[in-house]
Amino acid sequence: MRGRTARRLVGSAMTGVTYGAAALAILPLAAILGMLILKGAGSVDWNFFTKSAVPVGEPGGGFAHAIVGTLIIVGLACAVGVPIGVATGIFLAEFGGGRFGFTIRFVADVLNGVPSIVIGIFAWTWLVKPMGHFSALAGGCALAVILVPILARTTEEMVRLVPNSLREAALALGYPRWRTSLQVVARTAGAGIVTGCLVAVARVAGETAPLLFTALGNEFFSTRLLGPMAALPLQVYVYAVGPYDEWHRQAWAGALVLIVLVLALSLVARAVVRAKRQHA
Amino acid sequence: MTKTFAALLAVATGAVLLAGSAAAQGSIRLTGAGATFPYPIYSKWMLEYHTQHPNVEINYQSIGSGGGIRQFTDHTVDFGASDGPMTDVQIQAVNGNVLHIPTVLGADVPTYNIPGVTQQLRFTGDVLAGIFLGQITKWNDSRITGINPGIPLPDQDIVVVHRSDGSGTTYIWTDYLTKVSPDWAQRVGKGTSVNWPVGLGGQGNPGVASTVKQTPGAIGYVELIYAVQNHIDYGLVRNKAGNYIQASLESATRAAAGAVATLDPNTDFRISITDPDGAQAYPIASFTWLLIPKEMSDATKARTLLEFVWWATHDGQQYNEGLSYARLPEPVVRLEEQRLKSVTVNGKPVLPANYGRGQRGR
Repeated sequence: MRGRTARRLVGSAMTGVTYGAAALAILPLAAILGMLILKGAGSVDWNFFTKSAVPVGEPGGGFAHAIVGTLIIVGLACAVGVPIGVATGIFLAEFGGGRFGFTIRFVADVLNGVPSIVIGIFAWTWLVKPMGHFSALAGGCALAVILVPILARTTEEMVRLVPNSLREAALALGYPRWRTSLQVVARTAGAGIVTGCLVAVARVAGETAPLLFTALGNEFFSTRLLGPMAALPLQVYVYAVGPYDEWHRQAWAGALVLIVLVLALSLVARAVVRAKRQHA
Repeated sequence: MTKTFAALLAVATGAVLLAGSAAAQGSIRLTGAGATFPYPIYSKWMLEYHTQHPNVEINYQSIGSGGGIRQFTDHTVDFGASDGPMTDVQIQAVNGNVLHIPTVLGADVPTYNIPGVTQQLRFTGDVLAGIFLGQITKWNDSRITGINPGIPLPDQDIVVVHRSDGSGTTYIWTDYLTKVSPDWAQRVGKGTSVNWPVGLGGQGNPGVASTVKQTPGAIGYVELIYAVQNHIDYGLVRNKAGNYIQASLESATRAAAGAVATLDPNTDFRISITDPDGAQAYPIASFTWLLIPKEMSDATKARTLLEFVWWATHDGQQYNEGLSYARLPEPVVRLEEQRLKSVTVNGKPVLPANYGRGQRGR
């Protein structure tokens, strides 16, 4: 009897500890979000989404140029990075058994660990300097370089989860190897790959360092891909270190919008997975 | 899956195409980058200038003085900006094709946190150098109490706070200490970041200000504009003439006027105005510069840039006080006019010789 009570006690104590650990893990996110809402929510109004920067001391300025800039630059990063990343992932999972696959995997892991400022400098050296000017395009490419290895590795994991029996069934029906990979395997892993994309996009959307020396930032509303463009993280950074209260408030609001954007992407990712599961 | 994927791609490509076609036509766009300190006033000028000249978009981004010089040298920007002048070696790297144009003035102030002391302290160059060298370690040191009679300074250790990042603010501070203290000049010297003998580092003006605020006995230096905008108290500093001066926009302008009085008319403006002459001049002030090429290739861009810089150093100066920047003294503006008129495209001057006549005082 005593042994059982002791076991039960230890059991509930351990459960308590895990709950505590989970709460601790969530605490920073909750604290950040709470702080941002406290400091930033007051400055998020209609103007914030529809107006661009105004001179210091004038009311009614907004972050429209930065929000649109971030959407365009991240869109560019996806257009460049998603096909390469997903294709690499499928290759690694389906055909990447040999030495070449090992090398690619190794390079992707190394690239994953490279500090993002280094990737910014890389993009500056190969795109900004030869072109002779800063551009949103260079910013998008820098973000794509960060996006590709993340996406390649998550796609690989997702494709690996597809049971072999499916591949065998497709091959047995006379499908060639490439069609099996693309239409059967990749399709089955679809929800996972889309989640991977969204998580990777959420990860790069908040990057500041690679944009500093590529997209540069812009005071004006600009959608020209070959010119400097504003982005949320850049604008938040510049305003946060500035001397004016008004800027600090806008920086808090910008940070709030950015984190809500990233949170929304993560939630969409979860929803996609759930919908696919119920479908299957 | 393929459908979702295709949709994602379509959205991305759509955004790109839309973006490309929506670009406004007929605008003149210039890009500049550099110093962080003048960013607010530059941003104000450029947005104001755009409302007055809707076809001109001048975009300035604060990436730091070092970055500004680098990008200017690599021709990735149309103009640069820096809180510290380019060195002779850096000027050689652009084959001498650069003009330094002072735009506004900044100043550094000593800020401190001594429990129980609310009075405004007085400092001299010697005392500041002694503190930042780690030679004066207590607030009740006779060298401090001697110049602050009647203020009950406690037996508290001094904690020095300096910038951890490279900064024009540090350049001005160490430039001043180098001038007033041979010991500092020999042991530390001047620069945007130096080997500090003692102290804690803080990131940016906000980092230094908050570290000082949280540390009893701390002393640090921040930009005047930052101290004014954030209601931070700061001390008086004794100038060359022997007066204790409160840093202000006016006393910073006086510092420039004091230094400029002895200026060669053909100066390249790469001058330090710390520890200047002048009874009411604040001793820790500095110009900040725009870097523009002497000889440009694109006539439209050249004309636009020069007209903007002309406007900024004349009409634009009226916005300075509102943002806590000190105005350029008149004699400096007169010299700058000559320098701006010397800029050429294919060897021909861009601005007519009579440019600006009749516009003054508009």
